Amino acid sequence: MDQSAPIPTAAPPTTRAAKGDLFDGDYLKKLEWLSLIARQLVQGRRQALRPSVKKGASIEFKDFREYSPGDDPRSVDWLAYARLGQLYIKLFRQEEELDLWVLLDRSRSMDFGTPNKFDHARRIAAALAYIGMSTMDSSSIAPFGSELQQGPERMRGKGEVFRLLDSLRSLKADGTTDLEQSVKKFLSRVRRPSLAVVISDFYGLQKARAALDRLRFLKHQVHVIQVVSPWELDPPIRGELRLVDAETGTHADVTVSDTMLRKYKQAFEAFTTELRTYSMGGSIGYDLTRSDQAFDEFVKGVLQRGRLLA
Amino acid sequence: MTLLAPWALWFLGALGAVVAFYLLRIKRREAAVPALDFWLDLAGRTKVHTLWTRLKRLLSMLLWLAIVACLVLALGNPMISAGRIKPRAIAVVIDNSASMQTLEGGSNTRLKEAIKAVTDLTSRRPVSDEWLIVEAGRRAQVLQPWTLDADSARRAAEKIEAFGGAGSLEAAVQLASQLVAGKPDPCIVVVSDGAAGKIAQIAQADPRVIYWPIGAKDDNLGVTRLAVRPDLRRGNYQVLLGVTNASSQRIESKLTLSIDGSPQSIEPFAVEAKGTWEKTIVIDPPAGVPARGGVLKATIERPDALAADNEAVTVLEPTRPAVIWLVTPSENAYFFEQALSAMGPLVSPEQSLTMTPEKYEQAAAAVLNAASKTGAGSGSGADGNVGTAPKPADLVIFNGCTPRALPSSGRFVFIGAWPKEVGAVVAGKLDAPQVFLDPRPHPLTEHLSLQGARLISAKQVTATAPVRVLAATDDGKPLIFLSEQGDRQSLCLGFDVLESDLPLRNAFPLLLRNTVAYMHTQTQPWLQTRYAIGETIAPARPLPPATTSVTLDVLRGGAKPETKTIEVRDGRFVYADTLAGQAVRLTVGEDESFAAVSLLDSDETRIAPVPSPTSAAEALGLSRRLFAVVPWAGLTGLVTLLVALEWLTYHKRWTE
Repeated sequence: MDQSAPIPTAAPPTTRAAKGDLFDGDYLKKLEWLSLIARQLVQGRRQALRPSVKKGASIEFKDFREYSPGDDPRSVDWLAYARLGQLYIKLFRQEEELDLWVLLDRSRSMDFGTPNKFDHARRIAAALAYIGMSTMDSSSIAPFGSELQQGPERMRGKGEVFRLLDSLRSLKADGTTDLEQSVKKFLSRVRRPSLAVVISDFYGLQKARAALDRLRFLKHQVHVIQVVSPWELDPPIRGELRLVDAETGTHADVTVSDTMLRKYKQAFEAFTTELRTYSMGGSIGYDLTRSDQAFDEFVKGVLQRGRLLA
Repeated sequence: MTLLAPWALWFLGALGAVVAFYLLRIKRREAAVPALDFWLDLAGRTKVHTLWTRLKRLLSMLLWLAIVACLVLALGNPMISAGRIKPRAIAVVIDNSASMQTLEGGSNTRLKEAIKAVTDLTSRRPVSDEWLIVEAGRRAQVLQPWTLDADSARRAAEKIEAFGGAGSLEAAVQLASQLVAGKPDPCIVVVSDGAAGKIAQIAQADPRVIYWPIGAKDDNLGVTRLAVRPDLRRGNYQVLLGVTNASSQRIESKLTLSIDGSPQSIEPFAVEAKGTWEKTIVIDPPAGVPARGGVLKATIERPDALAADNEAVTVLEPTRPAVIWLVTPSENAYFFEQALSAMGPLVSPEQSLTMTPEKYEQAAAAVLNAASKTGAGSGSGADGNVGTAPKPADLVIFNGCTPRALPSSGRFVFIGAWPKEVGAVVAGKLDAPQVFLDPRPHPLTEHLSLQGARLISAKQVTATAPVRVLAATDDGKPLIFLSEQGDRQSLCLGFDVLESDLPLRNAFPLLLRNTVAYMHTQTQPWLQTRYAIGETIAPARPLPPATTSVTLDVLRGGAKPETKTIEVRDGRFVYADTLAGQAVRLTVGEDESFAAVSLLDSDETRIAPVPSPTSAAEALGLSRRLFAVVPWAGLTGLVTLLVALEWLTYHKRWTE
């Protein structure tokens, strides 16, 4: 095996299969259908009504505590005082706005496979953002590569959907992935806790874990969607090969034997298992999608499992 | 070690190609992966020490070099010998006689084993040998002229077609010995079962002959004699039968005789080991057979290793009663007519004539005239009945008279007078002589007793040419003598039969019967009585000049015969479709001739193979082979093993 310097001119072969419009009429119909399903799932609740972990002023009772000086006398439960002779303060759940942020991996490793992983990821991202616009306070898509793309905008209302789709349509996969750096930048801009959905292939899992931990630490609800292509699950390669990295263009000469392929499949299975186990352990929602899976079926499954709208 | 195919060494150049392939960098195909680090981590886990990797690559190369070397060696057909084996000129004589059709197990005949032996021989000798293939079958013939291409020799041997007749082994070896003259280090390999011992004489006569024995079985009974002759006096046939036992044990079996497909007789027999059983039997043919002829088949009802000799056929030739012309004065005819009519089937009463001397001259002229018109010159007995001409006589009896001119051919009896052409003249008269038979036996005097017969008078005979005296006076003066001059036979009696007491002794009718039976010859046949399997049938003498075609019927017992019309050129024809036993009938004009085609060869029946005193393989340098059976099989097996090892160690990463 021989690892050599990057070859800037040797671009990895494109495996993009989609030749037509990424978001055609059919896509929009499916989008509207998913939106209906999402609205049914929230059972008529108003948009942006998400329980906050903070206690504050709302009509929903949460707990009692003893009165301490400085508390608002209006909060004292006078009925309890009449029965018990002690002052107690009623605590209510605070209501606040909840934003949806879709962090979309736009590195070149996503521009891979047949069907193309990046196309599949963009369709899912657009669907989630549209659902967010109809059921939450706001939605936004934040593409990232080696760092977060400048100027993610919060979009409110379904009227913003075409602007959203146009921005995704013009988005190109390029560069490398640095999720940790991108999350740092994301957190510097978005200080209020939100629902953060990270769509990526999650290669370089150690850095990804650090980034996800950072999101959790700052009270964001995190959900990861791992996108894989059929090629990655069962690579149709064999023999004396020069493997070229899709992101960096670096290459290595490898003899791919049956034994090696068998070990690759075991390693890839371990890789996805590790990501899922980590997510479950950290209360992070996890879903895996193949690029040849219908995006609407996948999104519908995610919604029905209640990980995003519960 | 000697390579039988040294040209294979040219392929050693492939070793250089193998090394070159390993020295050249492998042109790798490019494949994009989403994350190379993932694969590098994986490869890192499976990576072994670089030195081992190099060694493994070196091992792979060494294995491929060994594979190529083994293949080249196998292609070269190696053999190990004490001394260098020199090229030889080898003439292979393949025995293709009937005994080579012996089954040695299943459908495997000796001929097939012989072909395998030739394949074995040609593939185990050096490629520089020169080959000649000669077949010893119907006739000795070269199947493959001298060639250096062993494959051509093998193909020629494989094309030999089985022959069911007697072989021509001596002729084939003689032909081969003529063809090896002048060749370097020649030898003649005779692939045979020994031809009932003939091979010993052949090998003794020529030291260049190497005998390659074939076969092992000896269980065989065969019909080796089948001959028939008609008994004119009794109107039946005498059949001589012979069976030969080739095996080394006594065998009891049965022989079935059938005429035209109908069984006539079953003869049980017992033959001692290696012995022969012979018997003469008399068969009374079914009605009509003596007149039209028939096919007699002898079949042994016992399966054995060689089926070709289990049956034989022969022909029951038709017998024709004699036509007698009695030339006598009318007043003396009665006694002779009575004597002739008592001869039963021997004489045809319908076609026989009694005539005066004058009428004889007219009848003879008419017959001569008719014969000249048809052109059928078949002698006195030939059919030539044209128009009103009488049937020609087989025997003419002149009683007290002689013809004006004695024909040059024919059968005659002269009583009391004879022409001088017979070789005797009358020198005087003998009074009251007594007749005494010559003590030497003769067919004419068989069962005859004339001792003491008295004559009133007799003519004193003086022979002017050699004659056979059958009876004489007590002082030796000839009274009855036989003159045989070319195709003319004349029996002369020097007295008047009616002037003796000879008729009263019933002796003269018996003498006359013996004379008719002796002198009456059947139509001279156009064919031999018997032909061997594979022998060409041709007329025994030129056919009449006007003949352009003849009809030949292949007789099939009681079935309808297969008729063939054969073209005749210059009075001759050839019929060669005689590869199977059969009976044939040839029709030329109104004449019919019969012949049988049968094996009837005791040498072919004695199938017990003759052992070779020396090893043919050793004499040909075949026993010193490294791989005696399949020379390259071991090497190719090794190659398979090496390929599997190379696959496991390198391509399959067995060591990872």
